[in-house]
Amino acid sequence: MLYVVLFFLAISLLLYVILAGADFGAGIVELFSSDQNQQITKKTVYRVMGPVWEANHIWIIIILVILWVGFPEFYNVLVLYLHIPITLVLLGITLRGVAFVFRHYDAFKDKSQILYDWMFRISSFVTPIFLGMTFGAMLSGHIIIPEHIESQSFYNLFIAPWFNGFSVFVGLFFAALCAFLASILLIGEASDEERPIYVRKSRIATVTVIIMGFLVLCFSYLYDIRFLSNFVKNPYALTLVAISALLIFPLLRSIKLARKITTRTFTGVQVVLILIAALIAQYPNLIITSDASINILKTAAPDKVINVLGISLIVGGCIILPGLYHLFRSFKMIKIFER
Amino acid sequence: MDNLDAARLQMAFTLIFHIVFACIGMVMPFFMVVAHKKWLNTKNPIYLTLTKSWQKGVAIFFVTGAVSGTALSFELGLLWPEFMKHAGPIIGMPFSLEGAAFFVEAIALGFYLYGWNRLPKKFHWFTGIIVGIAGVASGILVVSANGWMNAPSGFDYVNGEFLNIDPIKALFNPGWFTQALHMTLAAFTATGFAVAGVHAFQVYKKKHKELHMKAFKIALTFGALAAILQPISGDISAKDIAKRQPVKLAAMEAHYHTQKGAPLYIGGIVDNENQTVSYKIEIPKALSFLAFGDFDAEVKGLNDFPEDVRPKNIALVHYAFQIMVGIGSLLLIVGLLFFISFKKQIWWQKKWFWILFAVLAPTGFIALEAGWIVTEVGRQPWIIHNIMKTKDAVTPMPGMVYSFYMYIVLYTVLTVAVTWLMTRQIKFLNNSKTV
Repeated sequence: MLYVVLFFLAISLLLYVILAGADFGAGIVELFSSDQNQQITKKTVYRVMGPVWEANHIWIIIILVILWVGFPEFYNVLVLYLHIPITLVLLGITLRGVAFVFRHYDAFKDKSQILYDWMFRISSFVTPIFLGMTFGAMLSGHIIIPEHIESQSFYNLFIAPWFNGFSVFVGLFFAALCAFLASILLIGEASDEERPIYVRKSRIATVTVIIMGFLVLCFSYLYDIRFLSNFVKNPYALTLVAISALLIFPLLRSIKLARKITTRTFTGVQVVLILIAALIAQYPNLIITSDASINILKTAAPDKVINVLGISLIVGGCIILPGLYHLFRSFKMIKIFER
Repeated sequence: MDNLDAARLQMAFTLIFHIVFACIGMVMPFFMVVAHKKWLNTKNPIYLTLTKSWQKGVAIFFVTGAVSGTALSFELGLLWPEFMKHAGPIIGMPFSLEGAAFFVEAIALGFYLYGWNRLPKKFHWFTGIIVGIAGVASGILVVSANGWMNAPSGFDYVNGEFLNIDPIKALFNPGWFTQALHMTLAAFTATGFAVAGVHAFQVYKKKHKELHMKAFKIALTFGALAAILQPISGDISAKDIAKRQPVKLAAMEAHYHTQKGAPLYIGGIVDNENQTVSYKIEIPKALSFLAFGDFDAEVKGLNDFPEDVRPKNIALVHYAFQIMVGIGSLLLIVGLLFFISFKKQIWWQKKWFWILFAVLAPTGFIALEAGWIVTEVGRQPWIIHNIMKTKDAVTPMPGMVYSFYMYIVLYTVLTVAVTWLMTRQIKFLNNSKTV
């Protein structure tokens, strides 16, 4: 049953990164658009994301609940040492959520729209950066778990783990990934005359993701981050990344031809491969601290708790997944093959 | 302000904010589907306009409730890591089910808000019902987790360790039913009176009278019914508290000295140092009767509990309790008046009738917040009753006071923003010619 729980954890994480990532990315694409394109993007984003964005963001709550119920000590390390970036992520999630709804539901469309727009765009950009920094902090090896909390300075304990070069680059990489996902999604959803905007954006985003990914690797190499050596030593992780890298060529061609669905499928597969590679490289030691690693399996709650959690997840999954599928399908968001 | 106080205030502030939005987000869908059903049945366009305006309200409140709820679920761990480390696995059941219910709610809301003219009519209406039911279910589940903090069960506590964890027993802890019943009724009362009050004010101002009167009737029918049922649930809760948390009961009544045939104090000013309550109305033997169903039963006073297991702020608990019960009784009477008004429709022509309900709009929520202050402050110094103290659960990270300030600013701004948006909704509705 432990593996059922881990499976749901991984699935939730993948879905959160892809679905909420595309959602964050929509705001980033809007931020980096010309004034005229901003209004077009705003409309398209609303039409595409409106029905589903709420559901997309619930995956993070599922991740959270699985962690605190199933892996309490693992979760404990996160909330204790990454308190600050997590709080900043929450601030961002709150502001962009309300801004998205305010700008659509405000009864009068007047100057206040400008405020909502900027709130939405900025928080869409900043939130994934902090989220990425949180992920980065888990792998950066800067987290110190002291015996007595007083023995370390505030900076070393609560700031250094996430405020370092590696984490910052992971944050920027994640934001670029979000923009990439969103612009690809928008190719498929935009009208014919608007499509070239997103084709151009997708190309820029693809290049940015590659550059950011490269910078993360360079940085890990220069500063001897342990995550990199674990990554390089793991043949599965390397194979997955290699496949994902090779997929860039058909992807760029598909973007050039403005293919709606093939592009989306390639992108999805690529992102999933990269994430799985990162997970495999590190599994089961999903947090790297300054002197050791934390094995998520060893922090698991007692069997009885895991069993009940696993059953709840299966039952919940049986209710939610068909509902979610139906939601996406009703609003025509699921297309796998080109017509 | 020390770290513990800052963390407690932040938690309190976030909860006070979140509860309002969560309640409206879970109760208003029911008003919405009633109006929607009336539109489907009567084809009276007023009902369609009403449904669509309420739907905007639901969307704004739901999202604000959802994001503040997301923040809250993280804050549990961020502020109380030691609590979550031990309690997380035990109360995982209500939280994982709540996650599922919340997910269902979000999916259903996606269908509902965007399904106009795209989904089959009946299915579309039905998704609105699912929004409401899933909302109430998640409310009940979260309250069950709070019930566990008051009535911990489903584990053995041996030498500071939590052994033999039984998550299902923890879900159905002795506190869950009384608390969930009380809170669900309170949510319907508070939201019903708040929404009805807003529309009553519009009727008073003679703006789109027909629409606002229809809205008023739908909202208040729910609110008044819940207010009338609430005393029954209150009685169950009081007897339950008397049995399980006698010290909380003593704090609620500022009852210092153990006594047989204890009197009930209404109002009064608490002097904690001298252990007296002045300017109160005293009803002889009533506390014994309300707590144990026996006029001569013994009610333990605060003095019979060691100092370190008593809530510090007795006065706050007592005042909050008085406010809750006072407003509850008032809304019960006014709720009955509302049902009588269907026989005496002449009242609907009178200004006082509409002013009365407009004035009462915020009271339900004041009572609801006061009730939570009673149960949360009354539980102190424990975070898990008789097991773990709040001060042992707080995060060791210094500087929580800054985080507290940040949340105060954030939620104050959001409260102002949402209120402003609502007034704009009403202004827009009143200016529209379609009604």
